[in-house]
Amino acid sequence: MFDWQFAALLLSNGVLIGLMYSLIALGFVLVYKATDAINFAQGEFVMIAGFVVAVAMDAYGAPLWLAVAVGLAGMIGFGFGLERVMLRKLIGRPVIAVVMATIGLAAILRGFGPMVWGAGTKSLTLPISEEPFILGPLFIPPIQLLGAAVSLLFLAAFSWFFLRSRRGIAMRAVADNQQVAMAMGIDVERYFGLAWAMTGIVSALGGIVWGNLLGVDVQLSLVGLKVFPVVILGGLDSIPGAIVGGLIVGVVENMAAGYIDPYVGGGTKDFAPYVLMIIALMVRPYGIFGKAIIERI
Amino acid sequence: MIHRESGLLKTSYQADMALYPLPIARWTVAAIVALAFLAVPLMLSDYYLSILNLVSVAIVGALGLNILVGYTGQVSIGHGAFMSVGAYTAANLATRLDAPFWISLPLGGLMAAAVGAVVGIPSLRIKGLYLAIATLAGQLIIEWTINHVTWISGGVQASIEVPRPHIFGLEISTQRQMYFFLLVFVVLAIVGVMNLMRTRVGRAFIAIRDQDIAAEIIGINIFRYKLLSFAISSFYAGVTGVLYTYYLGIANYEQFQITTSIDYLAMIIIGGLGSVLGSVFGAIFVTMLPIFLRITMETFGGLFFSSGAMLNIIPNLRLIVFGLLIIVFLVVEPEGLNRLWRNIRSYFRVWPFAY
Amino acid sequence: MRAMPALLTAAALVLGAVAPASAAEIVIGAQCDRTGPTQTVGTNLCPGFNDYIKLVNMKGGVNGHTIRADEVDNEYKVPPAVESYERFKKEGAVTVSVYGTPQIYALTQKLTEDRIPGTSPGFGKAAAADGTKYPYIFPIAATYWSQAAAAVKYAKDQLGGSLKGKKIAYIFYDNPAGREPFPVLEELQKLEGFDMRTFAVPPPGVEMGAQVLDIAQRYRADFVISHLFGRSPSVAIKELKRVGYPLKKVVGFVWGAAEADVEAAGGYGVAEGYSALQFAGVGDDFPVIKEIKEMYKKEGKPEPKEMKESVYYNRGVFLAAIHVEAIRNALKAKPDGKITGVDVKAGFEKIKNFTLGGLVPPLEITPTDHEGGGLVQVWQVSGGKWVKRTDWFRAYPEVVGKIIKEAK
Repeated sequence: MFDWQFAALLLSNGVLIGLMYSLIALGFVLVYKATDAINFAQGEFVMIAGFVVAVAMDAYGAPLWLAVAVGLAGMIGFGFGLERVMLRKLIGRPVIAVVMATIGLAAILRGFGPMVWGAGTKSLTLPISEEPFILGPLFIPPIQLLGAAVSLLFLAAFSWFFLRSRRGIAMRAVADNQQVAMAMGIDVERYFGLAWAMTGIVSALGGIVWGNLLGVDVQLSLVGLKVFPVVILGGLDSIPGAIVGGLIVGVVENMAAGYIDPYVGGGTKDFAPYVLMIIALMVRPYGIFGKAIIERI
Repeated sequence: MIHRESGLLKTSYQADMALYPLPIARWTVAAIVALAFLAVPLMLSDYYLSILNLVSVAIVGALGLNILVGYTGQVSIGHGAFMSVGAYTAANLATRLDAPFWISLPLGGLMAAAVGAVVGIPSLRIKGLYLAIATLAGQLIIEWTINHVTWISGGVQASIEVPRPHIFGLEISTQRQMYFFLLVFVVLAIVGVMNLMRTRVGRAFIAIRDQDIAAEIIGINIFRYKLLSFAISSFYAGVTGVLYTYYLGIANYEQFQITTSIDYLAMIIIGGLGSVLGSVFGAIFVTMLPIFLRITMETFGGLFFSSGAMLNIIPNLRLIVFGLLIIVFLVVEPEGLNRLWRNIRSYFRVWPFAY
Repeated sequence: MRAMPALLTAAALVLGAVAPASAAEIVIGAQCDRTGPTQTVGTNLCPGFNDYIKLVNMKGGVNGHTIRADEVDNEYKVPPAVESYERFKKEGAVTVSVYGTPQIYALTQKLTEDRIPGTSPGFGKAAAADGTKYPYIFPIAATYWSQAAAAVKYAKDQLGGSLKGKKIAYIFYDNPAGREPFPVLEELQKLEGFDMRTFAVPPPGVEMGAQVLDIAQRYRADFVISHLFGRSPSVAIKELKRVGYPLKKVVGFVWGAAEADVEAAGGYGVAEGYSALQFAGVGDDFPVIKEIKEMYKKEGKPEPKEMKESVYYNRGVFLAAIHVEAIRNALKAKPDGKITGVDVKAGFEKIKNFTLGGLVPPLEITPTDHEGGGLVQVWQVSGGKWVKRTDWFRAYPEVVGKIIKEAK
């Protein structure tokens, strides 16, 4: 007999956790979309944001709103600064140079966080209940609901931003063709900075939500590993793709753990999304929503 | 390598393609080989030899990864897994069939080559970062398989103890013996890559890297050569894994996880993509830098910090400095240490008449 | 090229810096990981190790010999572990505290060839408890096999003395260390007649909603044994709590047993009822910890903040104390002070009735048993702190012993 209630539980869990993965993936996609840079330090961004907020509350006793404000401001400043100091110098370099630079950045952040704020696990408490909402057969933890809501909010905000706002359209122009955009009088470097600052915002909120879920220490950066199947499935440069990719990964992971694991005696959760990803890539080499690049000689 | 020429006097294509364009180059190489084989093991203690041994293993792996990434332009984040394929193949052969190392080593490499070619199949359709992540998927799937199939991994601990290699009845166990053992493979690996790149295959790789569509139009079978590149590169990775296994006396896949793949990528990017000397420089740099940083900080750190605080600061600072150096290198010298070396050479080539 | 002379000078200084140890000094090679994935352990464990060594030296050392712990961070990677081991050897280390399962695997053959004892408390290969097969490897604390046996024993006691027909869920980190207890669990399953299902959590283990739902809603386990690492123990606590599973029916292995795990799960209120195994005492109510506090007070320094993470700090003290005790035994046999790894190995094998006021279990290490009995305590989160639930005990020694014997 098929247990529908259990399947529904797995599905709801997958959807919620998937949207929380999307929250991390959004930061990655934003940067790639606007600047063609691949950020291997996305998990470390989230970690640093978590550190800032947790330390502001823990060590300095700041109220939540102030800590969040500090976190947001810090991450925006960090995004701008990083673009100015490091990434601007790498514009026009091969992709792998940027990849390596962000791997170097990840090492710096992993050393910096514990050195300055201590390696111990810090708790990041939010004024929301630990008790789940019970919705028929389903358990919905408030923190995951918050994470999902933030993700969807960002989806709406960024969709509006890129489709309607003047800056968003300029950013799309920059992403499409930097030289032409420059010729049209768009300050390309400013928009690069803006993209990194926006990633900072997304990472700050990701750090708060995931920091609450996992506690804040270096291991918080591990959530960055979850980004890859999400963004590749959805397409590296698609904001809706990040959301859909997250949903697919979340649901596939949960279904694999629920229905494949008992038969193979091991955790297939980790790579099931990757297998799906490879199959999807063979059909659509640029992800589900990604933009195909037409190559010419 | 370190000589100065007095102009380009080559008159034939053969002369231009020669590995040693001038007799003096041959002498330099001979001197370096003599130094490595005779002077170094006589002069250094076990401790320094153990570091050199780690460097030697890293050089073989970096050369292999450079064939794929530097010469063919296909990114792989799965090389750690190919190393573990080689390691477990050799370990199983050595423990189940009592195979000596000169059988298990090439077979370990070949198995890794076969697996690498399979992982490379998606390269037909996908490129760039998408391919990189597909190889990451390959890494995870290989890890999972080794981890769960006890027939391969030799039990739930997924570790197989391997007897020390023997040559003519002599057991190779001390760091000094290991040094000679590994150095032979370093030389073979270097000679192999240098010659490979002078052949039709090597030129096809470079053509694919530079412009794959153009390469296809001039008649290069892209799919075949991409797979071949994956296979050769994975062969090197497999051999690296086998060497590691014999060096440590145990095959254990936890030594070859994603961080290892990334470390090797760091080596070739810092050393210089598409360059033999760059792979060597990169392997030396990435292996020795943390050690060098740590010892430097242990020496001078006492001036600034208390000993208790220092123990916490050294490892973190080492990470920070390591990351910073990578970034500074990329910003200042994107083509890596090899380019830096060439710049120094070309400066001295015309020295003291710079203009 | 202006940088060249400076680099050369630095290199020369560095080469000069690693000088051999002086004669009266005895060196312990101490690997540590203050960076890398398990740094929450290393940053608290290693200060405990160093503080105990400092205390011993302050009290005049061992038979007049100063002990020096040469600490090297290995970042939980294998190459640095190999390099630091060679460095310890060069410094004349007579015993090595290895850190991390892949690292002890990588060093096993070298340690045996060089005849230097190496310890792997609470991790590494469980079969190494057999001193005849692995003469220079000392697990010295309960291996994963003994921990599995202890966890089953605890479950049995909690479920009213019989496991017949009961359902036990084993949730584990999906790596070799996580699967190591399988043989013991399967053997005990036959012996005790319980039903067992395994739930794998693949690394990095930051999400395990599906597994926990399965345990609570589909399998409906009577008891949960959890063997997780890093951040995943706290995630497990949190998720089990969320689906309404009683945490009183959960027992964790030793690496999911620290203050930090409770903290990350959302505090003691959330984790109330969760119990876990310990191979060293918890809290600061031990004479040796008080002595260390005294030592700091005398120096006019505040007591180290790492002491608050008493689970890991105390394990560091325990580990250092075992090494020192082995050295003490070695020096007793060879009063001239010229001891080697072989002597310290013999010293380890004489450890008996050494409890450090309850911080260390009453281990008895012999040439055949390098585990020392596999003793653990169960501690439980209760009323805002870890509370001791059982005294030191060893479970199913005959089953564990049989499996050690059968191991390759």
